[in-house]
Amino acid sequence: MIEMLSYDFMQRAFLSGIIIAILASVSGTFVVLRRYSMISETLAHSALVGVAVGLVAGFNPLWMAVVVAILSAWLIEYLRSEFALYSDAVLAILLSGSLALAVIIVSLGGAFNNSLFSYLFGSILSVSTQDVITIAIFGTIALVSLLVFSRQLYFIAYDEEVAKTSGIKVKLLNFLLVSVVAIIIALSIRVVGSLLIGALMVIPTVAALQFRVGFFKTGLISLFFALISVIFGITLSYFFSLPSGATIVLCVLFIFIVSLIYNKK
Amino acid sequence: MPLNFKVPIFDIKNLSFSVKGQSILSNISLEIFSAEYIAIIGPNGGGKTTLIRMLLGLDKPTSGEVRIFGQKLNEFKKWHKIGYVPQRASHVDSAFPATVLDIVKMGRTSQLGLFSSFSQEDTDLVYDAMAKMDILDLADKMVGTLSGGQRQRVMIARALASKPEILILDEPNTGVDMVSQKSFYALLKKLNKEDEITIVFITHDIGVIADDIARLFTINQKATICNNPKKILSCEEMSELYGIDAHLIHNHKHEH
Repeated sequence: MIEMLSYDFMQRAFLSGIIIAILASVSGTFVVLRRYSMISETLAHSALVGVAVGLVAGFNPLWMAVVVAILSAWLIEYLRSEFALYSDAVLAILLSGSLALAVIIVSLGGAFNNSLFSYLFGSILSVSTQDVITIAIFGTIALVSLLVFSRQLYFIAYDEEVAKTSGIKVKLLNFLLVSVVAIIIALSIRVVGSLLIGALMVIPTVAALQFRVGFFKTGLISLFFALISVIFGITLSYFFSLPSGATIVLCVLFIFIVSLIYNKK
Repeated sequence: MPLNFKVPIFDIKNLSFSVKGQSILSNISLEIFSAEYIAIIGPNGGGKTTLIRMLLGLDKPTSGEVRIFGQKLNEFKKWHKIGYVPQRASHVDSAFPATVLDIVKMGRTSQLGLFSSFSQEDTDLVYDAMAKMDILDLADKMVGTLSGGQRQRVMIARALASKPEILILDEPNTGVDMVSQKSFYALLKKLNKEDEITIVFITHDIGVIADDIARLFTINQKATICNNPKKILSCEEMSELYGIDAHLIHNHKHEH
């Protein structure tokens, strides 16, 4: 155990993993209650387009992922409000479209290699000090924006129309929520991978919901589950040489199943 | 407090609403004054809910104008003065993580400043509202476990927590048992008489509250204003409004 923490790359892994766990679970609480679960999946794939552009053009893939994910989030909100499209269909179209675009960009640029693979499934051991700093800075901004408006977002999730009639700026806050989620997802794909981040965002909250407690406690339980999953996941992946992202997701899935059984009537 | 007949809370002028060429409401003009108790009745699909949604800015009128405290809807900022309890108040997603206290606190949310949490005043108003609706003992209960009647009180407590001058209720008692309904009407009357809160109430139970209300609006595409609510319950006028349902409503009135 002690030996594991003596490696620089493991310290970075735990540090970035813990930050991501906090970000994913706090934003996930609003995402799930707002019935936006599928958005996290779609944005994760859109972020890959940013990664692809970054890899091919030589920009920082993480920054490009943030930019493209935010643009994609705005596009989703725009399409949903301006066109008569089913919102789950919009998400499905953008999800597969983004993935296809990312693969084409990377293969045209001749960069179809382990780099992209590490963004698909996460590669926590390759997280650099610069990545940790980026994750910490953007993560803090994202988290603060969420917490400042947490009461308003909670009201909107419960009843959007009544929230609107009480004077809450619903459109603006919906916009803020998807933007923050986009940032958090883009930051997370280095650690858990774009195919798996949706799970870390959604499952801790769904597990916490099984305990049928109030808003604040649900958020805390969700945070606790996410932290446990990330810490156990990284530790297990270190000792058994398993892929970190997938191990973390299996940990949180295990917690979900236990929560479900424990709270069964 | 004398009734302020100069600036009505709501001033509705020539309001019309149509969807895809089909007229839902046509040329409605109404005024709603401070401390009034108004019931709105009319057949399903007659446009009652549409009218309320336009008052709240949730739907935009095809033509005409709504003024609220003398201001245009899009210029009005003090929405906390308006308490809204929607039709589906008694139906709720049972998995949503909310205690009764969580829900009533929502009534204070729109007035929260940036970076600030609920003040002592906010908390006091939340508990006052719960006390008024007699739900203090339910504060820590999950809202999904409550009965329809209890949930209805929670939703009104949430509206009251923002210290509204007017409460707009859209058939909030759908799915609520008779005993709860009676005490609910008594509460509304009390809010109107003692706290001088203006009440606008869509209902089918006009017979039950006819003695409480000041004016009655009947909405069936067009609006009729009745200043003596008991008078409109004549069979002929009900026939005109509801068509074949008239006898049923007429009998209902005699039971009370």
